[in-house]
Amino acid sequence: MTRRIETLTLEQWDARYDALRAGPLREPAYGGPLRRHVREGGDLRLAQLRFDPSAAGLRLWNFLLTEEDRLRAARAEGHLLVGAMKDLGTVPVLAFALPRTVAFYPDGAWWIPCIMQRSDRLLHRADAMGVDESFCPVRAMLGAFESAAHFPLPDVLLCSVGAACDDFSAIAQRLAAMGHPITWWEIPHRRPPEPGEESVDLPGSAPLRTKGNAASREAGGDAGDARDENESTPIPCIPCIPALSEGCEDASPKPPDCVGGIPAPTTDAVWDLPLRAPRALVDFVAGELQRVRDVLAAAAGCELTDDMLRCGIAHANRVRRTLAELRDLAFSAPVAPLPALELHIAEMLALHFCSDRSECLRVLEDLLAEARRRVRAGEGVLDPAAVRTFWVNPVADLRMMNVLEECGGRVCGTEYLFTHALDEIPEHLPPLEALARTALADPMAGPARDRAARVVRDARRWSAQAAVVSRIPGASHCATEGAVIADALRRELGIPVVELETPPLIDPMLPGLRTRIQALLEAARDRRTP
Amino acid sequence: MITAGIDAGSRSTKIVLLDPAARTVLAAGAVDQGVHPERIAGELLDGLLAGIGRSRADIARTVATGYARNTVPADTTITEITCHARGVHAVCPAARTVIEIGGQDSKLLRLEPEGRVRDFAMNDRCAAGTGRFLEMVAQRLGVGLADLGPLAAASASPAAISSMCVVFAETEIIGLLASGAKGEDIVAGVLDAVASRVVTMAGRRVDEPVAFTGGVARIAGMAAALSTALGLPVTIVPTPEMTGALGAAILAEGKERG
Repeated sequence: MTRRIETLTLEQWDARYDALRAGPLREPAYGGPLRRHVREGGDLRLAQLRFDPSAAGLRLWNFLLTEEDRLRAARAEGHLLVGAMKDLGTVPVLAFALPRTVAFYPDGAWWIPCIMQRSDRLLHRADAMGVDESFCPVRAMLGAFESAAHFPLPDVLLCSVGAACDDFSAIAQRLAAMGHPITWWEIPHRRPPEPGEESVDLPGSAPLRTKGNAASREAGGDAGDARDENESTPIPCIPCIPALSEGCEDASPKPPDCVGGIPAPTTDAVWDLPLRAPRALVDFVAGELQRVRDVLAAAAGCELTDDMLRCGIAHANRVRRTLAELRDLAFSAPVAPLPALELHIAEMLALHFCSDRSECLRVLEDLLAEARRRVRAGEGVLDPAAVRTFWVNPVADLRMMNVLEECGGRVCGTEYLFTHALDEIPEHLPPLEALARTALADPMAGPARDRAARVVRDARRWSAQAAVVSRIPGASHCATEGAVIADALRRELGIPVVELETPPLIDPMLPGLRTRIQALLEAARDRRTP
Repeated sequence: MITAGIDAGSRSTKIVLLDPAARTVLAAGAVDQGVHPERIAGELLDGLLAGIGRSRADIARTVATGYARNTVPADTTITEITCHARGVHAVCPAARTVIEIGGQDSKLLRLEPEGRVRDFAMNDRCAAGTGRFLEMVAQRLGVGLADLGPLAAASASPAAISSMCVVFAETEIIGLLASGAKGEDIVAGVLDAVASRVVTMAGRRVDEPVAFTGGVARIAGMAAALSTALGLPVTIVPTPEMTGALGAAILAEGKERG
């Protein structure tokens, strides 16, 4: 028996918030009703979305939508602000290892035109700079730098180049030409090792973290680095970062043996996904990250030691482990315990912790606790018969995640182009080596077939019945990969797949998008019946 | 028992009334779409029912499909992709690939042997490769839609239409006319361009046999252009503009049976 939890409109959240306030709602300093982001921040799109009704969901949204406030507060307190661009998950780990340092992704401005329903005019500003709609919506970042209205200008700007998407490279170069000095570091194309060439495993090649599977276990082939899977790695704490040291003992929630009657995943699943890179590539990237480390240390005015990096990696891994558990629980539960929209937002937090690493962990733990409670209680936000749908690539318009559910689908797996930010960073390796391997595991750094293999592996793991490969208009990186991934899903799993394009605002295209999604789900349902 | 399928498309509304037990189409009709799809569909439905001496009370179940499916009176809505697949399978059971070109979009469906949709691709982002595009061409050349096929057949040297954006293509057509290109060569070039656009959706593999449906299948020359672009024979299904409504009526019977 499943109890259905209804998602709420913004208007319904107003009443819900009053009801929660009348009870024992404990809110962080950035709390408050969702409505205030529309009223004070101009986040008009919220009025078109449906939200999870939990306090944990509210906290997630408030955390996301107050990042600008946190950055401004950090600036006022004299913290070093690091703009990390493009690498999606690696540089923030280095930056947050320093005291009084906050990292963020200026690239995240790509969601502003959606959230503010283009009232921000960021895309218009980019157009005026000659970076028009033939480019990825990340171009909104240029407008944000020019207006300085959405985040304080960072003290240090770092950007990965090389095996990154062409759009972003062009946009970042335009930013540099605007007078914002950028430290570039190179991420080379991840080529397969030549026969006989020394190579190493990358994160993501082992089965995803499961019960009893210690963090960062090597998948083999790198015997010198391999550790016993039961060997625990203590999180080192350093006294110069008291705020980070609290709870440094591994207090992360342990997955129960059985949650709500659903057996926890076992370790006997093995996926054929040997993600390896030549040793020479790893050494090269480690060298590049050493340059990044030097730049950060110089800007912060203090050394960035290996111990500090280990501590930073350990904290990042706590976030990643929590997220991994949340995803696994949400994707494998018989009834979806959380909406796709909130899960999408939660995944995005892994990139740079939304500018507050400790609070990010608490937000995710809250959400995980709510998901666990619902699964145990047999509660869910969707019909149990909703079609299990794997979603590839992030969406430019968040409304799209609601639309999937309105059409009768349920997200049962995702690949948002930054899986290297979800996998645990190996803690048994020298820190720069570990970060270099993580950076090289970036799905955008390697061939499309590697990415497709992971998508197929995960879609199979979470029993996907259909898949959506979403494209971002103008984003050249997605242009060819979509077909490779879609073909792999059809060939390997025999499930229907649809490719969609989601611009920053989908409203004018909504009828056509609905038709495609509904047709996809109809095709998937048709296969259920003999 | 009667089941009804209503295909409320962007250019026209089509209705099929089916006697599922006898596997017989009792009545079928189409009218131009307008700003009040519900009224248009209702009037067409009542007219068809009156023609066979029945009333709405005799309809066991109605399935609506097409762009305006949510605005017309029906028990259930099902997408045109599923409905076209089922409609084509009913009249052309061997078909494994279906090309459907309607007024506002074009689709390519791959079918399982039993007629289920295995996969599909759809272009609804721009009017290029759709009936609307061909209407623009006919209008610009001052001919009727029905004249496009015969005109194209008379072409000895199809013009090269490089742009598949309907707006830019119109500019190209104006330029071609100004430079003295023959109307038949322009039309032949447009049909080739539309076919090429549709075939692009097919990707690397097209399973045979290929069936062609939708209102644009009525335009002579279009199937030949598709066949040339695919390098495969293309069969126009009977009454191609009605297959969506037929599929809807068939699916209505399935829903009725539970």
